[in-house]
Amino acid sequence: MYVELKNINKSFGDFKASDNISFGIEKGKLIGLLGPSGSGKTTILRMIAGLETPDSGEIIIDGKVINNIPASKREIGFVFQNYALFRYMTVYENIAFGLRVRKNDKKSIDKRVKELINLVGLEGMEKRYPSQLSGGQKQRVAFARALAPNPQLLLLDEPFAAIDAKVRQELRSWLKEMILKLGVTSIFVTHDQDEAIEVADELIITNNGKIEQTGTPLEIYQNPETAFTASFFGQTSIIGDYTRFKTFSKVENASSAIVRPEFIKITKKGEVQKFRSSAVSGIVERTLFRGSNIELTVRVGDVLLTARRALDEPIISVGETVDVFIYRLFVTVGNKARIIENESLRENSIVI
Amino acid sequence: MKKAKSKRVIPGFGLSLGVTLSILSIVVLIPLVSLVIYTAQMDLGDIIETITRPRVLASFKVSFLTALTASLINAVMGVILAWVLVRYQFPGKRILDGMIELPFALPTAVAGISLTALTTDTGLIGSVFDKIGIKIAYTKIGITVALIFIGIPFVVRAVQPILEKLDSSYEEAAGMLGANRKKIFRKIILPEIFPAALTGFGLALGRCIGEYGSVVFIAGNMPYETEITPLIIMSELQEYDYASATAIALVMLIFSFAILFAVNLAQARNSRIINGGSK
Amino acid sequence: MKNEGSKIVKWLLIGISLLFAFLFLLLPLFTVISEALRNGWAAYKEAVTDEYTISAIWLTVEATVIAVLINTIFGLFAAWSVTKFYFRGKKLMTTMIDIPVTVSPIIAGLIFLLTFGRQSPIYPYLQAANIQIVFAVPGIVLATVFVTFPFISRELIPVLESQGTDEEEAAALMGASGLTIFRRVTFPHIKWAFLYGIVLCAARAMGEFGAVSVLSGHLRGKTNTLPLHVEILFNEFRYVPAFAVSSILVMMAVVILIIRSVVEYRGKGAE
Repeated sequence: MYVELKNINKSFGDFKASDNISFGIEKGKLIGLLGPSGSGKTTILRMIAGLETPDSGEIIIDGKVINNIPASKREIGFVFQNYALFRYMTVYENIAFGLRVRKNDKKSIDKRVKELINLVGLEGMEKRYPSQLSGGQKQRVAFARALAPNPQLLLLDEPFAAIDAKVRQELRSWLKEMILKLGVTSIFVTHDQDEAIEVADELIITNNGKIEQTGTPLEIYQNPETAFTASFFGQTSIIGDYTRFKTFSKVENASSAIVRPEFIKITKKGEVQKFRSSAVSGIVERTLFRGSNIELTVRVGDVLLTARRALDEPIISVGETVDVFIYRLFVTVGNKARIIENESLRENSIVI
Repeated sequence: MKKAKSKRVIPGFGLSLGVTLSILSIVVLIPLVSLVIYTAQMDLGDIIETITRPRVLASFKVSFLTALTASLINAVMGVILAWVLVRYQFPGKRILDGMIELPFALPTAVAGISLTALTTDTGLIGSVFDKIGIKIAYTKIGITVALIFIGIPFVVRAVQPILEKLDSSYEEAAGMLGANRKKIFRKIILPEIFPAALTGFGLALGRCIGEYGSVVFIAGNMPYETEITPLIIMSELQEYDYASATAIALVMLIFSFAILFAVNLAQARNSRIINGGSK
Repeated sequence: MKNEGSKIVKWLLIGISLLFAFLFLLLPLFTVISEALRNGWAAYKEAVTDEYTISAIWLTVEATVIAVLINTIFGLFAAWSVTKFYFRGKKLMTTMIDIPVTVSPIIAGLIFLLTFGRQSPIYPYLQAANIQIVFAVPGIVLATVFVTFPFISRELIPVLESQGTDEEEAAALMGASGLTIFRRVTFPHIKWAFLYGIVLCAARAMGEFGAVSVLSGHLRGKTNTLPLHVEILFNEFRYVPAFAVSSILVMMAVVILIIRSVVEYRGKGAE
């Protein structure tokens, strides 16, 4: 492990921002710290950077405990949420600042700054001030400034939050490419699931000052371990008593179940449905054209489910009674989540 | 557990706080403490005897009434001046704007003798009013005039930034909805600037109550009639009666802290309404 | 909404404002000049070049320069500690800083009299060390520092507060020293506010009357500042010299107002 946090605790007054946090990060990886606002993800980032001090626990980088090393000596690059560019310095001076305080010689500074300006594609903007730049350009400057002293670790706090939606998409792939090319270990904080899944090699999911789960985006998406991660991705529906849906085995002490839209198959009464015997009836309450698909809200008893249908399937209208079949769902027992498959799927495979 | 002493990232905390507290102690804290120590040694009976002397009580009345009148006039004039400076274009506007600050820049003693010379019954203004039987210098009116001079920038400078920030789209929206100008002013603009005007009024009142330099010359300093409290303190000091001076000063201090407190309260309420939340 | 009614209101309000400014602000200024020149140029010149006037000018300049220096040092350090760090008692500290402007100048003089005067417990020690504070120049300087105490910090704190601490944190992370951060990152933000504070501080310092009056021994040529000199002349019914000396202060005030306007204008332009 290149970066390791061991039993980190941090409180701000009564608010517990980090509750016994432990995790490790391999060298060269791009890690996303994902969680809702107030979940303590930014605090973790700031503690690694040295901007906050943990109440207890150890932070280890490259085998060394760095708790008592001042922020300025940690060799970490930090990209602030609002970039924190020096407003009274030009783009060139901003990028050169970290090198100048190290008293590097003028020539090598100039070489490095020019190299970085080329890297982030800001040629010709050296003499501009931050107020004369667009959001995306500011982020590129902040990125270059953080990279200038060749840090071993790059931390980014909500790197895309201050940029409008259209440019954001473009910057995401740009940043991922850049970090991949440079091979610098990086951690970024975000509250946006799509962004996290798209950009990160690995995710660390935080909630209420605790870590819910770590793993690759795919792993976490497919095998959520906790109730929180199970419900965090996508437009999930919550079912109180899932046994009303047929052919699910009963789990002891189950509190509720969570279903993603892609776990649900909605069919018209007349349509072919292999598992009709295991389906239940529901009434369509709302249909919404979503561009690539149609989103349906279906009521089954007192449960409201969100599901999707492809555009080439026969149209279903509001008020229609339909068959609802659920392939699989996440059953939560206390805080833990567990995936269970519909039994009829298994019977089916035996039959075939 | 290791020591949980929080390291600060930005350097210079110890040095800056150290210098700040040292200078603060020498200039403000130690003198205040010596006032407290001196007061603690005084007899409560003596204090009450001092501050209930008829001449002292009369001075409280003079000081308070003139300061209140002047500040009320300033509140109205201050809002008008701020309005004119923010909303209208006219020749000489920049000079007028700069002149508002004159009472801050002009030494009070100079203002005092100048206003006195203007308002005595042989002065430029005083002679005009003398013909209709009104005397300004050496009366309470004179004191009030001096205090209006001293207090005017407080209200203007409190109201001006609020008016500048006031988005004219509010007024346009109200105008579209059919409100007439009078109504727009009463319902939209006045509520916005009222807290600021109140703050300015409070600051002016606090300053006027304690004002000395500009008033002593124009007041005439007749006991019971035109003798202000700071002047009584001054004469006690000249007679080396520090105990009486301190007793009277305490009353003034309590009063000015009460005003300060009220102003802060109004400001806090105001910013809560504008910014929302508990901040 | 530009109808005739609003135009009448407009010019009425402008008229009231201009009349008010003329009566209360402009007229007193002219009075000083006209009274000063009442007995002609020679009399004016004699009053202004009087040896006591010259020494009063020097004392006023001395007190003003020292007050500006001390309050500059204090203002910069106080603004830095208040806006860049969290610590207990910050609110109390900022309230303490503001106290000097809320008390009457006479009371300011009184508390220094109680601290360093004859009845003070430390008076014997001062006496033994041969240090004279009350009724001497140090007392005048102290009183001047006191009444102008928050003038610079008060201008700096709001600017630094709204600027936040991000830039300083970023610079500190890169290993910049405190001085470098202040000089290169922070100071450009407060440049104009700082100048503005100095101007306000100087204006108040040179004109302070009440507090200085309590602590001065009114010794002509020794402990007399310009405003005190004006008072003495006026009370001796020597009106022309009193106004002549006042005119020096008026000129200083006008210069300060002009500098203030320029600084404010430049400051707004820089944003």
